[in-house]
Amino acid sequence: MNPGPEKKVVTRRQFLRDGARVTGVTGLGALLGVLAGKSAAAGTVWQIDPQKCVRCGNCATHCVLEQSAVKCVHAFAICGYCQLCTGYFEPEPNELNTGAENCLCPTAAIKRTYVEDPYYEYEIDERLCIGCAKCVEGCNRFGNGSLFLQVRHDRCLNCNECSIARVCAGDAFRRVPAGHPYLLKTMSH
Amino acid sequence: MRPMKTPQYSINRRTFIQRSAHGAGVLAFGRAALDFSPRAYSADRAANPFAYEVEYLAKTDPALLKYEEVRRFAVPGPEPRRIDIGPGDRLYVATEKGVNILDAKGGPVGDLPTSEPARCVGVAPDGMVYVGLRDHIEVFDSRFAPAGAWQSPARKTWLTGLALKGSDLFAADSGNRVVLRYDRSGKLNGRIGEKNHDRNVPGLVVPSPYLDIVPAPDGLIRVADPGRHRVEAYTLDGDLEFSWGKPSNAIDGFCGCCNPIGLTILPDGKFVTCEKGLPRVKVYQADGTFESVVAGTESFPENARRGSARNPSDGMMGGLDAAVDSQGMIYILDLVARDVRVMRRKG
Repeated sequence: MNPGPEKKVVTRRQFLRDGARVTGVTGLGALLGVLAGKSAAAGTVWQIDPQKCVRCGNCATHCVLEQSAVKCVHAFAICGYCQLCTGYFEPEPNELNTGAENCLCPTAAIKRTYVEDPYYEYEIDERLCIGCAKCVEGCNRFGNGSLFLQVRHDRCLNCNECSIARVCAGDAFRRVPAGHPYLLKTMSH
Repeated sequence: MRPMKTPQYSINRRTFIQRSAHGAGVLAFGRAALDFSPRAYSADRAANPFAYEVEYLAKTDPALLKYEEVRRFAVPGPEPRRIDIGPGDRLYVATEKGVNILDAKGGPVGDLPTSEPARCVGVAPDGMVYVGLRDHIEVFDSRFAPAGAWQSPARKTWLTGLALKGSDLFAADSGNRVVLRYDRSGKLNGRIGEKNHDRNVPGLVVPSPYLDIVPAPDGLIRVADPGRHRVEAYTLDGDLEFSWGKPSNAIDGFCGCCNPIGLTILPDGKFVTCEKGLPRVKVYQADGTFESVVAGTESFPENARRGSARNPSDGMMGGLDAAVDSQGMIYILDLVARDVRVMRRKG
């Protein structure tokens, strides 16, 4: 009668040695994976597709920077230079002037300048803009959509996993070539 | 000598792999939970501390709604922009591929294909059809055969409205902020609405490609001046006689930055106006006094949600337009939903 195969006993030392080996191989694989990922992402930056943006407000609240790297930008070629700009004024303003009670922007980041009757120019002060998209919503709902959000690359840290992109309600964040880092609105007329 | 200590725990390769797999599973689950919980939270728009609040304006006082919907049908062509009604109460809808001709119930009658998107259409009592493309007008006879194309009037021409009265055809050129007065052969006879201090004409303000016109029985033509939030009355020679309208999101005003975008007239001389942003269709007395609502913002949820800047590179892709048939029924064209609603006055 054969005694049968003898059960192999693994000692603590053997277990630790095997564990270290597995950990080493896994770590090497992870390192190679990260390097491969970095290689694929090299030369790309985060940007917002303005056609997908739903103005959810997350750009203002989810950036890792204290003041978001997302800013409102203005395509002047599309702007109507309206006297009653719905990106500048509250929905029911008392008067069409620069009084704070009439203005939509929570940080007064939009500057209104008279051009000629009845046209006004609107300019974003990026030092004050927090990327909340309130003006973008007003402009897109009623007007031409000349106000829109963009990631500003003089501020953006280009995190591997952008914390705004993770929560973007419109899936509007995507990587674009660093050589063409902005997705600007244009018009054909 | 002390005997060697016997291991209390032994683990074989299979157990090790099983436990590793369990650990990886737990880690993956935790990571997935981290990934999805903020997204789910962000989907709740109520959590947006910077929300642009106009939803309260989307409710219409039921007492002001004097019309009811009797029919609704889809427009066959893509990207509809303007609607007009011709002889026999046929509907003519300008779309990206040309003009769809429909009967009053939406049944197809014919098509007028165009080489580029049709942006507006006007039909004469004799059945001649004038189609506004971006910078010129193409003509079709009453049997839908091509009958010529007119020269483009100017470099920046962007036609958004056509209307006929007698031997005149009026073309709204939003690109140059002017209404062009043609005869039916295509000869340009006048320009209306241009800034002119000597004639006390302040000039049309057209921030976006929405400019519309309608002739009135009093011999004047009405021009929707969206940037000034009013309707202006001009003689056929271009003198500004009077205007009415005010900027306001309230129901008796014209909302947003630039409205009204569409204008037509009822058989009794009242005016029907269309707005974007807060898409709504209203009726005003001949003197400009607000009268009633044909359809409020709540009737066009998709249109309101998409806003007016749906395709800013091409303009005229949001909002509404309207036409009136011989019985006073109002046909509302929803540019976003791509359908026509037929509205009848209640009672």
